[in-house]
Amino acid sequence: MSQSKDNIIVQPIDLTAYDKEFLHLSGAIQPHGILFALKEPQLEIIQVSNNTFELLGFQPQEILHKSLKELLTPQEILFIEGCLLKDFESVNPIKLSLNKSTKIKDFDGILHRCDGILILELEPKITQEERDFIRFYHFVKGAIAKMQNAPNLSELCQNITQEIQKLTGFDRVMIYQFDGKQAGKVVAEQKREELTAYLGLHYPASDIPEQAKKLYTLNRLRLIPDIEAQPKQLIPSHNSITNKPLDLSYAILRSVSPCHLEYLKNMGVTASMSISLNKDRKLWGLIACHHYSTKYVSYEIRTACEFLGQVMSLELASKEENESLDYRIKLKTIQNKFLEAMPLAENFMEGLVKDKTNLLELVDAQGVVICTDGDLAIAGNTPNKSDIYDLLAWVEAKIDNDIFYTDCLPKLYPTAERFKDVASGLIVLSISQIQKNYVLWFRPEVIQTVNWGGDPQQSVRFEQEGRLSPRKSFELWQETVRSQSLPWKPCEIDAVLELRSAIVSIVLRKADELARINIELARSNNELDAFAYIASHDLKEPLRGIHNYSNFLIEDYAEILNAEGVSKLQTLVRLTQRMEDLINSLLHFSRLGRVELSVQQIDLNELVSNVIDVLSISLGQTDVEINIPRPLPAIYCDKVQVSEVFSNLITNAVKYNNQATKRVEIGFLDGDRTSKESPTVFYVKDNGIGIKEKHFDAIFRIFKRLHTVHKYGGGTGAGLTIAKKIVERHDGGIWVESTYGEGSTFYFTLQGKGG
Amino acid sequence: MAEATQTLLVIEDSDEDFAAFERILRKASINNVVYRCVDGDEALDFLRHNGQYQDRTKAPRPGIILLDLNLPGTDGREVLEQIKQDSELKMIPVVVFTTSSNPKDIEVCYQCGVNGYILKPIDVKKLMRTVQVLIDYWFEAVILPNSVRG
Repeated sequence: MSQSKDNIIVQPIDLTAYDKEFLHLSGAIQPHGILFALKEPQLEIIQVSNNTFELLGFQPQEILHKSLKELLTPQEILFIEGCLLKDFESVNPIKLSLNKSTKIKDFDGILHRCDGILILELEPKITQEERDFIRFYHFVKGAIAKMQNAPNLSELCQNITQEIQKLTGFDRVMIYQFDGKQAGKVVAEQKREELTAYLGLHYPASDIPEQAKKLYTLNRLRLIPDIEAQPKQLIPSHNSITNKPLDLSYAILRSVSPCHLEYLKNMGVTASMSISLNKDRKLWGLIACHHYSTKYVSYEIRTACEFLGQVMSLELASKEENESLDYRIKLKTIQNKFLEAMPLAENFMEGLVKDKTNLLELVDAQGVVICTDGDLAIAGNTPNKSDIYDLLAWVEAKIDNDIFYTDCLPKLYPTAERFKDVASGLIVLSISQIQKNYVLWFRPEVIQTVNWGGDPQQSVRFEQEGRLSPRKSFELWQETVRSQSLPWKPCEIDAVLELRSAIVSIVLRKADELARINIELARSNNELDAFAYIASHDLKEPLRGIHNYSNFLIEDYAEILNAEGVSKLQTLVRLTQRMEDLINSLLHFSRLGRVELSVQQIDLNELVSNVIDVLSISLGQTDVEINIPRPLPAIYCDKVQVSEVFSNLITNAVKYNNQATKRVEIGFLDGDRTSKESPTVFYVKDNGIGIKEKHFDAIFRIFKRLHTVHKYGGGTGAGLTIAKKIVERHDGGIWVESTYGEGSTFYFTLQGKGG
Repeated sequence: MAEATQTLLVIEDSDEDFAAFERILRKASINNVVYRCVDGDEALDFLRHNGQYQDRTKAPRPGIILLDLNLPGTDGREVLEQIKQDSELKMIPVVVFTTSSNPKDIEVCYQCGVNGYILKPIDVKKLMRTVQVLIDYWFEAVILPNSVRG
């Protein structure tokens, strides 16, 4: 019932039942050695394997309940007794000669204790190898040096398969590695040339049952010299100390599970050996050896192999760590590239979008989507856009601590079954949930990812012969990994989270900069504000002097001066007044942005009617018709400022108008009624002189005038600039449509509801 | 006329503004004695009888002070503050007569206890009207503190 590496090739049987078998209590051993269960201290033989006659020439009953002392020389007994006081397992194997044996005389004796019972296993010494330290040292010295020098895990694996094959002469030596879900893969292989390659093949986790895995960790080396050999029962089946079958967990001769034997047969394997590779006390993988005829490996060679397995187990940790370190360094390098590039981009999302290749490499994904406020930037293989939007809607609630990831999306989100070939694996990184900024990485179903090892055509041959083939096992493996991607590595998840914190720190830094700029801006605004008042004062003082003195000159010397002189002085007075208007406009404009808006709900009908009342005083005799086709809505705005907008626009409509009857229409457009948010568009329409299209923008610039000072009643050219600023402060826009010579319509938007 | 005894202190750095002011008074036949200081320090000396104004006959206590805000040296705002913190001087009405329409200035002056804040108009006719109203109000409508003591 033991399994060896050979389980690699799977058999479609009920593995659950297999899992429940008590592999270590089989009560039988492989027939190439003898097992004694001994009761201490007299070393009474309480159980013995039923093959003493074949190997020793006498029946088991003859020695049952006798002491081991009757089989061995006093020196050997003395030696064994000496061992028992110490760490006796380190002396294995003990060279024993059974003087009572009429057949094989020389044995390797292997001692261990289990459940308080001393177990002695005897393996015939078939070869004449000298058990000397120097020879063992030479066996392993070169191999260990090669393993240690291997630059990476894959070469380490390759090296050890070569060394083991050299040492043992097996037809095929493989490294079989378990993944995170205990599915396995052949990662290295050394074989006779004519054999089919198994390298790269994957196998389901169920290939090696838990029970078997436990035995692999207990017993680091397992040899099956001949699968055809009949197992030998222990006599009696229960031992007298525990009244149970003997626990053979540590017995090297433990018999093989019938299921496992079946596997090996199906594969055409006759002998096998497996060496456990452990990392962090867990089974990491196996060194699996196959032979296509019977093959016995001496205890000595096995010890060397086991030793190499242990060295490799030690090396694994550092090699894997190095490998993951290399990978982490690579991820870090990619990250750094982002960090360098991102601050240069307009915003961080653009920084990400620019370098999609690195973004893919950052987590070894095949597809990536950057979602910025509903816009998608896509690279590599991803679901289509509408699927991505649906997926985002689903995943938003799943994001925890800014990240969500899975390697089996279709299991959590059945819709994904449709696009599992690109998106069985998903990472969603939330950069800003409020602004809906996400990065999504996709990995395909693992079946799309894995390379088929060996030539599938070649394996068909096995099937024709009615045997299990690696091909079939691959199919079984496919079944078990359907709708899954390769798992996301912790360092990849870390890299994604680090990317996020880097982005956040950049955003924060930008926010800091912005805050600093704002403080600076506020300061310079204050200075400008003060400057505007001081400038207006300092400018006005000489202006007042010029104005007053010109007036005084006219008053005092009008009779002396001729008409032209008086006219010039009058011009001087007019110019000073104009200059004051300009200074006042500038001051008014500069203050607009500084005064807090006092927003409240305002009835525009009332507001416009007030404006018209005020204007009618200054309009005097002019023939003006103001038409408001339908009542205006109430809106949230600053009453004083919006009054000024209407006042400016109505004044302009009348001022820039050479019609006998000047018509002004004030109204609003029917906007998008479905959206309460959309602002209302108001208009002020006139039958005036119109504006050429090329001036449409210019008219809103401060002090930009289209006409001479004397035409159309003058003005400072600040009215529209002020109107524009007010509308913009209300988050609106202002624009003009006009036909030159026929009239103009000024449009502006103000928020309809809630300001 | 009792009103004619009231004097006026004008604190004004601009010669042109002062000349215009005097001219308007003259044209309006206003005969009040007008003293002028050109900056804040001089004004404070005048009011406290320091420096060149130790002779009290040359620097009588004015019935009212017209104060320009933007002055060289000690600023008009500071002059106002000093006057209004002085237990003797604070009784003299101070009217700020300035070009500055800065709401901050207006607020600060009233906080300090100014008695009036008038903007200097550029238009000469408006200026005349303003000065006339100012004189009428302070020298005819109002009873000034120093007239009580007299």
